[in-house]
Amino acid sequence: MLNVCSITKTFVTRPVLRGVDLDVPEGQAVCLCGINGAGKSTLLRVVAGLLRPDSGSVTINGHNIRSDPEKAKRQIGMISHASMAYPELTVLENLVFAARLYGVPDRMERIEELLTGAGLMSYRHDRAAILSRGLLQRLAIARALLHRPTLLLADEPFTGLDGDSSERLLAIFDQFVRDGGTILMTTHDTRLGLRCCRRVAVLDKGSLIFDAMKEKIDPDRFADDYLSYARGMS
Amino acid sequence: MRRLLFALAIALLIASTWIGLTQGQIVPVQRNILYAHVPNSVCALLCFVVLLAASIGYLATGRQGWDLVAAASAEAGFVFATILNATGMLFSRAEWNVWWTPSPRLVTSAILWFLYAVYLILRVSLPGSRHRNPRICAVFGIIAFLDVPLVFISARFIPDIHRPNFSFDSAWQTAALMLGMAGTAVLAAALIWLRTSLLRSRLKLEEELLQ
Amino acid sequence: MNDLGKGNPEFRICDFWLGLRAIIVKDIVVELRARQVLPTMVVLGMLIVFILRMASESALTGGAGPVLGAAALWVAFLFSGLLAQERSFASEQQNGCIDGLLLAPLDPGTIYLAKLLANVIMLTIFEVVVVPIVVVSFNLHVTGGWLHLAAVLLLGNLGISSVGTLFSAAVQLTRTRGSLLSIVVLVILMPMMIPATFALLVLFGAMSGQTQTLASVQGSGALAFVGSFRAAVGYMLAFDAIFVVASWLLFEFMIYD
Repeated sequence: MLNVCSITKTFVTRPVLRGVDLDVPEGQAVCLCGINGAGKSTLLRVVAGLLRPDSGSVTINGHNIRSDPEKAKRQIGMISHASMAYPELTVLENLVFAARLYGVPDRMERIEELLTGAGLMSYRHDRAAILSRGLLQRLAIARALLHRPTLLLADEPFTGLDGDSSERLLAIFDQFVRDGGTILMTTHDTRLGLRCCRRVAVLDKGSLIFDAMKEKIDPDRFADDYLSYARGMS
Repeated sequence: MRRLLFALAIALLIASTWIGLTQGQIVPVQRNILYAHVPNSVCALLCFVVLLAASIGYLATGRQGWDLVAAASAEAGFVFATILNATGMLFSRAEWNVWWTPSPRLVTSAILWFLYAVYLILRVSLPGSRHRNPRICAVFGIIAFLDVPLVFISARFIPDIHRPNFSFDSAWQTAALMLGMAGTAVLAAALIWLRTSLLRSRLKLEEELLQ
Repeated sequence: MNDLGKGNPEFRICDFWLGLRAIIVKDIVVELRARQVLPTMVVLGMLIVFILRMASESALTGGAGPVLGAAALWVAFLFSGLLAQERSFASEQQNGCIDGLLLAPLDPGTIYLAKLLANVIMLTIFEVVVVPIVVVSFNLHVTGGWLHLAAVLLLGNLGISSVGTLFSAAVQLTRTRGSLLSIVVLVILMPMMIPATFALLVLFGAMSGQTQTLASVQGSGALAFVGSFRAAVGYMLAFDAIFVVASWLLFEFMIYD
């Protein structure tokens, strides 16, 4: 359902992505690992349509993100380091705004559903400026799932979350995959990543050097030092 | 090939000056600055057209070559615009005893200079990605070009009491003027060409340094 | 949450209006709550008028009032207008909100139009406060009618906002100094200032002679203009149309990396 084809991207003179290919079928959760600067966030942003690659294409369920952005973007929900929430607006207002941007038909019911699911009901009239990191993350997830996307992109979603919030997030991801959604996430915390993802890939210096299903790898050795594991394998 | 162009340009300019100062001298003598003024004004506009074409080319294709041509033509155009305004002010002082007055031609020349100046400042001041800055400059190049005819028309709201109203009454003068225009145009082309390749080689050097 | 993909209708025209309105409303609510830019704009405008009034004290005899008043009005408008433009993308800088806009299935042109209209509204609020102050300070008589004045100011507003919104995206999102935006907008807007000042002078009753709204007027000295009020307004209209359309088309090149 997601086809990433030969993506190259260079920033000034530094090549960040060198011909990355990735195919993700529907209902699969992929965990993308790599050290800082390997290009994980860049790749995710290219898939989301936020960054234009120098060459290559991204297709989501047959819709090319550049030539057919409206249909392609409707299927994407994204969580990144930033919450994309306006600090002056309340939780509810932020979600209403996002719902309007995506043209969600049953706006208020859907928002209520997500507020309850994310445990934000009691905070819905609080301004985003006063929310803690964990609550902001929950708001970001609610926002990402608002328009019922089929592909969820998560850029280091577990960063800065305590154990409880991480478990809650994992539960949401699991439910999403059970409902037939596809996930592409990047993370440093490989143990958490391995818990919800069936497939792991390693990005090193802009190239995909490792790509395997969870069953085929040794999870403990991988979690300890995925880079040398991946380099050893390839 | 480029040296030929430069040689041709200089030859034409020398010819134009020589004819202008001997056979085609305009009376009174200070009006001869027109031989410098008019070709420069044409060239300043020509460079702007090149800037527009290069900007559109860059936005359409994303190839860096277009961006370099835009930068080069902006620099050349800036030089021509400066000479244009300077000679214009000298002429205006000699002819009507004022250094500057908001007459349509002078206003257009001034704004042309400002547009080039802002373009050059944008090129230098914008930090960031390799792709966004040339794009921003290219967009400004297009918007700035749209501004030029608007300047011309808006200046019509000012009474043009200083319209130069003489004509060239000898073939020598026309010849000198034409040669001057041709010379300056060729000079402009050669300058843009030279500057583009200078920019290209500097960019290559910087890239190699960073590798 | 088990109805994935079913809530994805095909793109409808009303989605465009929904998105447009959503962004405009959001911008205004955020600004009203942050209460940063609007007060600054108004105070800056008032200060500029005040300074120009004090600086021109000696020149105010002999009918120079309208000329200085018109100049003060446009200068205040331009500089406060620049503040408004800067804020339009400053609010998107925090928390990566600009990504939120770019992720949505919205045409970049829609984002531009929404931001443009939000800026126009901000500047109009500014107008309502500062224009009466100018009229009072310079002792102007709006003989041409307040409606005509509002129309001319709206056209000026659109002009500033059109180019300002376009380049504000560039300047804000590349984290440069705001003064860069100032020189870009001012240089592009220069030509519009001539007919704009002329229109104001006609409305303030400074142009001698015939009926001021339609006929050709020709002043002299400090009021040296030719042309008719209609021509001036027509020019401003054309200027706005050209730059709004051009900016709308070129906007997507500014916001994508």
